[in-house]
Amino acid sequence: MKHPARRIVSAIAIAIVIAGLTWQPAAAQDRTIKIAGVGAMSGVVRTFGVNAKATLDMAVDEINAAGGMKLKDGSRAKVVTTYVDERCNAEEGISVIRKLASEEWLVSIGPTCSNVAEPLFGILQRKAGDAGDSGLQFPIFTDTAIKPGLAKISEWSFRNVPHEPTMYNHLFKWLKEKNPDAKTLMIGVESDFAHSNANAGIMEAAAKAAGFEVLGQEKWLLNDTEFSTQVGKFRRAKPDVIGIAAHPFTTCGALREMKRQNVKPKVLVGLTSSATLETMVGCGPEAEGMIIPTGFAPVTPEAKRVAKVVAERYKGNVDLHSAAVYENIQVLKTVIETSGVEGKSTSVQQDRRRLRDGLAQVKEFQGLLGKVQRTEDRESTKPYVFAVAKSSDWVVLYDPR
Amino acid sequence: MSDLALDVVQQALNGFLFGSSYALIGIGFTMIFGVMEKLNLAFGVTALGGAYVALLVFQLTRGPLVLVFLAAVLAAGLIGLIVEFTCFHWMPRDYPLAALMATVGMLFFIEEVIVHATNGMPRAFPAPLGQLMLEVGPWLVRGDLAFMFLVSLLVMAGLWALVYHSRLGLATRAVSQQPVAAQLCGIAPRRVNAAVFVITGLIGGVAGALIGSAVGNLSPLLALPLTVKGLVTAVLGGLGSIPGAIAGGLLLGVVEYQALYFFGIGYRDMVTYLLLFAFLVGRPGGLFGSKGV
Repeated sequence: MKHPARRIVSAIAIAIVIAGLTWQPAAAQDRTIKIAGVGAMSGVVRTFGVNAKATLDMAVDEINAAGGMKLKDGSRAKVVTTYVDERCNAEEGISVIRKLASEEWLVSIGPTCSNVAEPLFGILQRKAGDAGDSGLQFPIFTDTAIKPGLAKISEWSFRNVPHEPTMYNHLFKWLKEKNPDAKTLMIGVESDFAHSNANAGIMEAAAKAAGFEVLGQEKWLLNDTEFSTQVGKFRRAKPDVIGIAAHPFTTCGALREMKRQNVKPKVLVGLTSSATLETMVGCGPEAEGMIIPTGFAPVTPEAKRVAKVVAERYKGNVDLHSAAVYENIQVLKTVIETSGVEGKSTSVQQDRRRLRDGLAQVKEFQGLLGKVQRTEDRESTKPYVFAVAKSSDWVVLYDPR
Repeated sequence: MSDLALDVVQQALNGFLFGSSYALIGIGFTMIFGVMEKLNLAFGVTALGGAYVALLVFQLTRGPLVLVFLAAVLAAGLIGLIVEFTCFHWMPRDYPLAALMATVGMLFFIEEVIVHATNGMPRAFPAPLGQLMLEVGPWLVRGDLAFMFLVSLLVMAGLWALVYHSRLGLATRAVSQQPVAAQLCGIAPRRVNAAVFVITGLIGGVAGALIGSAVGNLSPLLALPLTVKGLVTAVLGGLGSIPGAIAGGLLLGVVEYQALYFFGIGYRDMVTYLLLFAFLVGRPGGLFGSKGV
């Protein structure tokens, strides 16, 4: 071998040159923004999780394709996501959030169910920065769980869900104007589901405020299949308006029984969560004419685009719940880029606090239907429309924006 | 007649007819217990699985409803055979809890398969009788439930013929009464057991399709109620008694509807389970079983 020392020196020099050409700050390469989705991916509400995950993937892919999110030092970080199943079960939800909080996840979007969100928010630190409170310091930005007033449980909980009392107050007032001869209301409610129960109370209060006489509530359970007794009472009472505060499975059953017993109210009002494809698939023509206030409809160019991309490339449906995932990701991007998040593995807890404080300061953002106002108790006041089931699709009946 | 009397009769009528769906499911539970003295908690979901396969056939072919119902029956029969193979065939015979727990696992497994295949969304199931309602004086009778009631009677008649007038029935009774003696006579108990699972699966398919068309929707939400109601029916009627399952189902339906009318939804299931406790304490053998155990 000739000049082995020279060869070694040459090899080292070449290696140094190559390394120099490809070198970037190690810290910037390693940095990622970790956002975890938490929702129901199994059980009968799996469809919510599937749609939320599809929308999360779409929003994050678009952000990463555009270079990721900007960090405090000006470098950019890719967004990494996961989607964890909470099975619409409180214990499961708490368990997965505890696990995510013990890892390097910065924030979570979810959960699906109000009966998960309520106890979950209860394990978070009630007041941010309270040294005497050992609750989890982990920001959660909810997209779906809709039962009113939950975010006030903890300063680490944020929600971007429609404000049902506002929507139903407006809806019943509008219905009264359009149907002055409609005077009475009865409500059918799925009484063992937190959201449905809360919604029935909201409908009742809104109807009374609008001048309707509420004749009563008929109750059934989430997995009931036969509604002749309850619908028989509708038939006898002959209300002008019937409100169904139930999810698609029992809504469809009740509507079929109404058809059987020839119960034809002047107006039929449904639950916000039923303004989905699921209702159309399950109910068919029986859903025709049902009016629901909803926080999403493809009525703006951006809403149309997002709905189209999610449906075509991610095999999901954008509805009032999953639309919030897209909005939440956009809000998180803005807050992360402006609140000094470092994205280092050593700064996770500080970054969570920065993110929480940043989210708390958001007063308004651009949603898919228009401007979304943020309230003091970390909830959203979202634009909405009144949708009606027509020819097996949801169409906008009235757009108050 | 007063409104109250009209309503009470209407509720009894509704409960009686809807109870036939419980009866059909109860037959499956009771027949397997009668032959093997073991509970198959996956029977309700077997019926539901058959109905989902029927729905798939309908969506693919838009074919005649006879074909759809036939698909439900055959698919549930096949699922029944799979349940026997996985939950009973290989399980130790002297440890009955193993088979019971295996069927619990199978119940949730099949339910989750359905959830993943459908995303948990309810799916409209074809209803050949549509929303047919018959007026009988001041009362209304649902056409599909009346049809289901007639079918449950036919199923019971068919089962009676099978059990008492066929070689398979003879073998089934022999295995049920004296398994060792039956084996000594050349009867293969495992084959008989498998045949019973297929037959009950076929009945489950009939039940699943009829319940699907009566409800108008299929949903994984149905799996657990079918299981619980089928089990309660079988206990009320007397585990092992086919006429008992019919009577138990109808009784359960009537009690549920009256409880719903008089006490509301919050108490309906409480009344049902109080009835179950009352039977277990006072008449543990059920309506058609022995008085004592």
